[in-house]
Amino acid sequence: MMALIWFKGLLSRRRGRLLGAVAGVALTVALLATIGAFIASSGASMTRRAITDVPVDWQVQLSPGSDPGAAARAVGKATPYTALQRVGYADTAGLKFTTSGTTQTTGPGKILGISSNYQKTFPKEISKLQGSTSGVLLAQQTAANLHAAPGDQITIERPGLKPVKVKVDGVVNLPNADSLFQAVGVPPGSAPQAPPDNVVVLPSDQWHKLFDQQARVRSDSVHTQLHVDIAHKNLPAQPTEAYTHVQGLAKNVEAQIAGSGTVGDNLSSRLDGVREDALYSQVLFLFLGLPGAVLAILLTLAVTSSGAIRRRREQALLRTRGAYTSQILRLESLEAVIVGVLGVGLGVGLAYLAASTIAPSGVLARATVLAWTLAAAAAGLVLAVAAVLYPAAREARNSTVAAARSVVGRVRKPLWQRTYLDFLLLGVAAFMFWRTASTGYQVVLAPEGVAQTSVSYDAFVAPFLLWVGVALLTLRLCSFGLDRGRKQVSTALNPIAGGLSGAVAASLARQRVLVTRGVVLVALAVSFAVSTAVFNTTYTAQSYVDAQLTNGSDVTVTGPTSSPPAGKLAALKSLPGAAAAQPMQHRLAYVGNDLQDIYGINPKQIGNATTMSNAYFANGDVRSTLNTLAKRPDGVLVSEETVKDFQLHPGDQLNLRLQGKDHKYHKVPFHFAGVVREFPTAPKDSFLVANSSYIAKQTGIGAQETVLMRASGDPARLASSARKIVGSLAGARVTPIGSAQATISSSLTAVDLHGLTHLELAFAIVFVAAATGLVMALGLAERRRTFTILSALGARPGQLGAFLWSEGLLILASGSLIGVALGLGVAEMLVKVLKGVFDPPPESISVPWVYLTLLALAAALSTGIAVLGAQMASGRSKVEDLRDL
Amino acid sequence: MSEILVETREAGRTYRVGETPLVALDSATCKIISGSHIALVGPSGSGKSTLLHLMGGLDTPTAGTISWPGLGKREALRPEKIAFVFQTQSLLDPLTVVENVEMPLLLGRRSAKDARRAALDALDRIELADIADKLPEELSGGQTQRVAVARALAYRPRLILADEPTGQLDHPTASHLFDVLLASLEGTDTALVVATHDMGVAGRMHDRWQMQHGVLEVSG
Repeated sequence: MMALIWFKGLLSRRRGRLLGAVAGVALTVALLATIGAFIASSGASMTRRAITDVPVDWQVQLSPGSDPGAAARAVGKATPYTALQRVGYADTAGLKFTTSGTTQTTGPGKILGISSNYQKTFPKEISKLQGSTSGVLLAQQTAANLHAAPGDQITIERPGLKPVKVKVDGVVNLPNADSLFQAVGVPPGSAPQAPPDNVVVLPSDQWHKLFDQQARVRSDSVHTQLHVDIAHKNLPAQPTEAYTHVQGLAKNVEAQIAGSGTVGDNLSSRLDGVREDALYSQVLFLFLGLPGAVLAILLTLAVTSSGAIRRRREQALLRTRGAYTSQILRLESLEAVIVGVLGVGLGVGLAYLAASTIAPSGVLARATVLAWTLAAAAAGLVLAVAAVLYPAAREARNSTVAAARSVVGRVRKPLWQRTYLDFLLLGVAAFMFWRTASTGYQVVLAPEGVAQTSVSYDAFVAPFLLWVGVALLTLRLCSFGLDRGRKQVSTALNPIAGGLSGAVAASLARQRVLVTRGVVLVALAVSFAVSTAVFNTTYTAQSYVDAQLTNGSDVTVTGPTSSPPAGKLAALKSLPGAAAAQPMQHRLAYVGNDLQDIYGINPKQIGNATTMSNAYFANGDVRSTLNTLAKRPDGVLVSEETVKDFQLHPGDQLNLRLQGKDHKYHKVPFHFAGVVREFPTAPKDSFLVANSSYIAKQTGIGAQETVLMRASGDPARLASSARKIVGSLAGARVTPIGSAQATISSSLTAVDLHGLTHLELAFAIVFVAAATGLVMALGLAERRRTFTILSALGARPGQLGAFLWSEGLLILASGSLIGVALGLGVAEMLVKVLKGVFDPPPESISVPWVYLTLLALAAALSTGIAVLGAQMASGRSKVEDLRDL
Repeated sequence: MSEILVETREAGRTYRVGETPLVALDSATCKIISGSHIALVGPSGSGKSTLLHLMGGLDTPTAGTISWPGLGKREALRPEKIAFVFQTQSLLDPLTVVENVEMPLLLGRRSAKDARRAALDALDRIELADIADKLPEELSGGQTQRVAVARALAYRPRLILADEPTGQLDHPTASHLFDVLLASLEGTDTALVVATHDMGVAGRMHDRWQMQHGVLEVSG
């Protein structure tokens, strides 16, 4: 009966406190469960994306004389597969083509033999450029080397046999030549083997006709591969597990065909690369989400502790009426149960809504998400008990009726202040940050080919300790400032409180525990919002730069030297939605015997059409590097690997061989002008960048094979317009940045963080509003007695407002200032610690002014509502409350 | 010269408790003259506090009228003209004794310096200058009520309304509190209306008005 009366009382009289605590528990549960859903779904989407990108899952290379049928059966036994094709590989000593009395010859190359439906089965390996897609196909570079086109007859040199002639039916691009011609069976970590410069693709029958005999004469020059796509539906969702699983399957196949073949496991290699990104994403989600959960917990504790005075009085009354401690605790546990059950229910519902709106469908059914939801629910219940029951139990056991009268008390410094814990934490944060910096911010380790991975979670200790340390320091400084700087506070409050400013300052000083708690909560909420928003904006901006680096620019138009898209530059430039367009050469050049991509640019103007980041150059200075190149016409920027391989020093002459008008490679002298690390459209390893005018002059070919376009509007729309312009050019391709964003090599930046960050930013606004508004409103409700006394003494509404506004604005202004500074600091630290996420790393953090303005408005609005609400309440309930005086 | 400070005519106050009307004060007619000391006696719930709240302008009557001929408009009554002393601890917890006492003066827009001087003077008059810097929680019950009295006196109001100020004090402490209060009012024309159960206290006042079930019986 007593419990029922208490329950009714709680619902009718303590609704604000109850709802506040329920909201806090719900936010905590929702955040934790949502983070779990995101971690599970991001891993799954990374795996899905990674395995979709792989052109051929396995390339099983058979030893000469082994039975392809037996190998195929072994594959089928190990795992179900969706495609399996035999592909013949034969070496050629060279190719020859004679036209108009001139004979073009090439170096060694490869002749592939594929079935008629190979291209349909593995569409990512071969794409059409010119002529037919069946019959005899020449790789684009080979066609350029031979100066051959569909309809021409070329000669294939066969080792140990007579050359044969074939008629070219089409010219194709081999976009994944690196993996197609990989050296199968080399140990992990070996330097990648460059794909052959010359490739001819033949129909399977014709290939057998021409090379079966070669296999008998020179067995080392011919081999067969099985190209396999395994069934993906049974793969584990997480990249690390999927990697281990696929590796196991490949080993199983190798064991079955013992000695007669080796599996080139492209799928594992791809998953291997994603593992690191998956770990980063996990870390990222945790680091972005956990502070929010901590904040929700602190807010819940603040809400429940705001009723401490009232609770103490209630307990005192119960005790004077003869209630035992156990009876009091039973009643208090009723409140904990209400808060826990409602909070967890609401939180799980919120999490479900958020995750099902943002995460891919079906993800919520996964066991991981369920486990996270259960863990979050358990955390919610623990929080309810900790927030409601624990302080009640402490009060019930420790306090007496007399002590219950105490409401303010002379403040004694808490233990952490006496032991200078705040300074200690900040010192440890600085040390940990220095330690992480000294390892080059290597937070995640997933060594290539090694199943084990590790995350250096201690890297996150620094920003976390900074957060906690600044929170405690804020408590110390605010407390000190309110106590010792009462005169200054009074002066500062004079515009709001006028003649009452001294009394207000004195009141704030005595209530500094409550006030500083409010300031710290606002500071933490604001810092959470600022750091999340800044990190998100920086991440988004940097993802775009990353995509630009891969795609070249917002829209990139490419084509062969014979029909360069730069011929349509004027038309492309004048397209609506085109902010700028810059041509760029893309040729090949020999550095010694190493064939590398060379990009010819106008250094002064390239930056108009695409982002030129400092991180692209070893000296970290884009302006000086491009200036140096512009000043030296024969200058060349060389990749780090080449500098190391060829022991180059600045100013060294570097003789490259470039193809001239006669299709032969000629020596062209360059001078080493700088080191380039990355460049739009360039491969990751070795490449060169030089002045386009010099390349054109030396080779006699002015063609510019690429046009980089900066879009002022939607890149996809600009790309569509550009396609119409270059549609008539043979082999021209137009790629908008969106396609690069979808298939970008770094799958972490491709993971859609927007869902989580949008959710976090929304949570952040709720936290800021709650910290500034709810906690203050509840605190003010507890201080209604003070305002009733002031009213009875004759305070006008404006004078009551002076007390309320002074407190509200002091908390809002101090909390916001500290929060913004802390948020920027944490974001800066976070961006540095997570340097590995970015490619290239950002030069500075990006500040989302619009969001921050919205945040400031939300904070000001919630403070305003809380203060006005309290002001109205203090006037309205005056007469009833007087009866308590 | 005697002056009518407060005048009620057929004043009534009815509260609503759910759907049920509760008459707290019924047709009260009375005048408070400057310099008068009136005891308002009657059992709990007889309407004493309600009448004091109406007189002090804290509440408005639901029937009849109330006016303040010698004090001016209702909006300007507190803190200058009327001061309250309540039954329970009514000091502001975060403020020291002297800050509490000077609060009405600050609310009345007196300068901080003047307010502090007047507050210290009031505390001195009732022999509390030595606890000026203490917080309310550090005071005894008697001291707390004496500070409340000092706060009421600080502005030198024309009327003090005390709602059972000794209700939570033992007899000697209550008696001492009244000694202090009456001594402070000696020689002034400040009127004092005290709602009380304490017949000893009531006996020390000029007049004793009886209240029963919301009905006021004026005598003297």
